[in-house]
Amino acid sequence: MHDFLSLIAHHGYAVVFVVVLAEAVGLPVPAAIALLAAGAAVASGALRAPVLLLVAVIGMLIGDSLLFVLGRYMGWSLLGWLCKLSANPENCIMRSAESFYKRGKLTLVIAKFIPGVNTMAPPLAGSMLMRPMLFFQLDLAGATLYAVAYASLGFLFRDFLVAITRGFQTAGRAVEMVLLIGLLGYIIYRIRLYRKHSVYRIVPRVQVEELARKLASEDESHPLLVDVRSHGYYDPNAARIKGSIRVEPNNLAEEIKNLPKDKDIYVYCT
Amino acid sequence: MREATSARVAHMLREKGFNAFVLVGGFAAWRKAGQATEPVPRDDLVKLPTFT
Repeated sequence: MHDFLSLIAHHGYAVVFVVVLAEAVGLPVPAAIALLAAGAAVASGALRAPVLLLVAVIGMLIGDSLLFVLGRYMGWSLLGWLCKLSANPENCIMRSAESFYKRGKLTLVIAKFIPGVNTMAPPLAGSMLMRPMLFFQLDLAGATLYAVAYASLGFLFRDFLVAITRGFQTAGRAVEMVLLIGLLGYIIYRIRLYRKHSVYRIVPRVQVEELARKLASEDESHPLLVDVRSHGYYDPNAARIKGSIRVEPNNLAEEIKNLPKDKDIYVYCT
Repeated sequence: MREATSARVAHMLREKGFNAFVLVGGFAAWRKAGQATEPVPRDDLVKLPTFT
């Protein structure tokens, strides 16, 4: 934190621009901390508030516009790619979209304050064919609100931020403990996730070649292919395995009523 | 975890008495192997709200 504050003080505008742009395109960098530190730098006279806000807003607009355009042309495949790192890509997309629909267009104004939605909102707006001018207006409002909010906090609590950085230096061991506890918590979370999914490992699996052979055989008990992808069905150019049927995984209780019990069922997702 | 959704669904199906299997690698592996695909029928596409 202390290093970050001095970095902001020496290379203020460039650092803020790079950090907010990187966060806007989905990289895990702390834009809020950069803006807080920059606000403190304004209070100490190292940076000028109007230039800082201009640089921060332009950085965010460039990143958001890039994802908006990509979302418009790549559709749900981009969202799938952005969600790839999550434990369950299907749910990641559905959750982000649901949160977007609930709040409507104004999501773009507050998205930057909501973890997980901040990166997904611009490509979702693009996928849902929002007019570019409307997107620009809402995103400008959101970026300005975000930059002003965090820079103001840094400006107002400059002394407090300095105290925190001093605290970090004197309480280095405490910080290490917090990081260690966080790391342990993450490991426990991953183990629980692994154990939760391990129950599914008992399900028999087939390779592509084996299934293709079964489909090509003259055997009368033709297997049933079931597609359980969610987002694959939002893209007008979507494709699926020839002859398969769709089953919505979030509505399985209802959907299985139509499935035959006398056939082998081969399930696939992305 | 790969095939997270298909494994979950296949597991639930097997619990209900269906003889379900998981396709390793999913649709991506199928397409990569050059096996037959088809466009999703228009009636099966999910209509999402748009801002137009």
